[in-house]
Amino acid sequence: MKSSISDLIAAFNFKALLESLIAIVIGFLIGALVLLAFGYDPAVAYSALFGGALGSTNSIASTLAYSTPIMLTALTFAISARTGIFNIGAEGSFYFGAIAAVIFTNIWANMWFGLAMGILLGALWSLPAAFLKVYRGVHEVISTIMLNWIAWFFVFWLVVGPYANPNDPNKTIRIPESARLPLIGNTNLSIAFIIAIIMAVLSYYLLWHTVFGFGMRASGLNPRAARYGGVDPNKAIIWSFIIGGVMSGLGGAMKIMGEPPTYAISQGMANVYGFGFDGIGVALVGRNHPLGIIFAAIFFGMLRAGTALMQIEAQVPLEIIKVIQGIIVITIAVPGLYDLVKNVFKKG
Amino acid sequence: MKKSVLALFLIGILAFSVVASGCIGKEETAKTSAGKIAIVYDVGGRGDLSFNDMAYLGASRAAKDFNLKLVELQSNTEDDYVRNLETLAQQGDYLVIVAVGFMMTDAVKKVAAEYPNQHFAIIDGFDPEMPDNVMMILFKENEGSALVGALAALITANSGKDKVGIVLGMEIPPLYKFEGGYRFGVAWARDYYKQKTGKDVDIDVLYQYTGTFNDPAKGYQAAKAQLGQGAWVIYQVAGGTGVGVFQAVEEYLKAHNQKMGPPYAIGVDSAQEWIKPGAIIASMMKRVDVGVYSAVKAAVEGTFKGDMVELGLKENGVGMSSVDDVMAIFDSLPEDTQKQKLKELGFNSKEELKKYLEDTRKQVPDWIWQAVDELKQKIINGEIVVPKALNKEQIEAIRKAKTWQEMEELAKKWAS
Repeated sequence: MKSSISDLIAAFNFKALLESLIAIVIGFLIGALVLLAFGYDPAVAYSALFGGALGSTNSIASTLAYSTPIMLTALTFAISARTGIFNIGAEGSFYFGAIAAVIFTNIWANMWFGLAMGILLGALWSLPAAFLKVYRGVHEVISTIMLNWIAWFFVFWLVVGPYANPNDPNKTIRIPESARLPLIGNTNLSIAFIIAIIMAVLSYYLLWHTVFGFGMRASGLNPRAARYGGVDPNKAIIWSFIIGGVMSGLGGAMKIMGEPPTYAISQGMANVYGFGFDGIGVALVGRNHPLGIIFAAIFFGMLRAGTALMQIEAQVPLEIIKVIQGIIVITIAVPGLYDLVKNVFKKG
Repeated sequence: MKKSVLALFLIGILAFSVVASGCIGKEETAKTSAGKIAIVYDVGGRGDLSFNDMAYLGASRAAKDFNLKLVELQSNTEDDYVRNLETLAQQGDYLVIVAVGFMMTDAVKKVAAEYPNQHFAIIDGFDPEMPDNVMMILFKENEGSALVGALAALITANSGKDKVGIVLGMEIPPLYKFEGGYRFGVAWARDYYKQKTGKDVDIDVLYQYTGTFNDPAKGYQAAKAQLGQGAWVIYQVAGGTGVGVFQAVEEYLKAHNQKMGPPYAIGVDSAQEWIKPGAIIASMMKRVDVGVYSAVKAAVEGTFKGDMVELGLKENGVGMSSVDDVMAIFDSLPEDTQKQKLKELGFNSKEELKKYLEDTRKQVPDWIWQAVDELKQKIINGEIVVPKALNKEQIEAIRKAKTWQEMEELAKKWAS
């Protein structure tokens, strides 16, 4: 036990943490300048942002609920990145996880069945890109972007077609009540958040405390050296895609099964779109480290949850809030982005 | 060296922001107000030239009339609805929180149940199990559509044609109200025209559901096909898709060297004539502003009731646009947009645009406008009941009905 805690501390890269903290401060300062330029008071705006994100039990619950799906899609990106793969297919697996939850909980109204089918479909959808990469050398950026679109249109068809709600055509049929994820206390937060944290910790354990994970990381750092050392990089790549698909599929399923009040995919897929892409940002801010991602996702959740109070108390319009948050996120992602680019050139 | 420069730079920014933040935002706190109201927009947000902008008009007018402070809240995605409503309800100092758009129905239902002492209003949203601190404001789109249906049919018959068109969005039950009302107006106009001129023109209604609310290309194709089949006036009930309908009509006019119709398009929800002056004769207005205003008024005057409130012609909740309505919408656009739009259309001033819209209306003889007004009065008096189709079965029955009297029978049957 003692050793595992010291391991945990050792695994934490304090230099990276410091860089990120400095980046956060710089991001907020530049954001403050923009607020000033538009004539808003940064002090009022930022205190409303944090008050709205952390000021009450409901606020904290919202922050954590917003952080849940992007935590999982960020894990998809990070696990692949550690294996040397630039996987942006989280989006597609997320859609499949969501629609799987709708379809299968309406066959058997059981929560675990719904989650399992979300995981299964999410993982299956990650396979084409994995095989194309390993056996045909198709670059994963190209294949995952294309597969995202295929997933989008196919799931869209399911949403407006066979699974549209006949009583309310603006969404799909709902998740049956007995299959919904239980809420924590008297809040809007479901156990999805806890499951996401467990997944992040498991990912960390897998990557840094198992031979299997060591092999994945080794082939990410240098596939030839890894092969020399007895690791099959192809196998590592395929598994990283599959584990990534598991995370996003689970994320998609929990988005629909664990978020009141709708419990359905809405028309135009508006409540499942974009989480895969946001996850890339979260992964970069979290430096592609599963434990860093937990904090990064919660930080993103805070920005989202604080938006309402920032509009009310500081009277900052949503558009400007989005600009500010964009600046903050980009600034914070710079160190992670730098790592990524550096690695690409090193391999180069 | 490098580090110290960076540090100085950061300190500079910090100092500047502290000083500057002291300078701004101090003036406007003094104004006293009788209370606060809040409005939450759906993801369309301000600047949609339709629902949300109209809601803002109503809310700001109410705020002015009753001396209230208006708090506005935009939603980034659907996931923000609950959070936004909850944040407001938690503050607990709003006379009423208005949610704009049916997409927020679930969220309002949930948050209203958690805050039973807070008044809510939802525009255009309905749920049979809504808690009783929520006022659900709905519109009788069937009545407004009947007016533009009569207008369309009379213009068509008067030009010696016999087809009108309607292009709709997704085939969902709320749109049946529009289609049914429009058909009723067309049938009523046939009768009116026969009595006035002695000629019986059997006017066919071409209708198409495009399956989308945001694809102008689909609206364009649908309208083009209808024009090709001889439709003389086309009513669009398709949101963004409808912009394509306007384009198709404008193109037809250009191809025939006409500046103004007929043929014409008819707009929906807000007064849309300014988008393509000359090609759009009128619009079926859904007065979201009136809806918001009446909710605030009820909350201020203590007559607020958690229930369904339907606003029709009588309550001015729906109606056919006037030139003044168009100019009011145009005035509410940002200054830059107004200027750009005027330039695009080739007008030097707003007055020129207004004159042009008036001239467009003069292409249609006075007796037609009077006929539409007559229908309006009869609906308001209750002399005529416009059918309200709520499902596939009911719209099919209206489609089959031959005369407006038959349709009215249906209306009475469904009402009882």
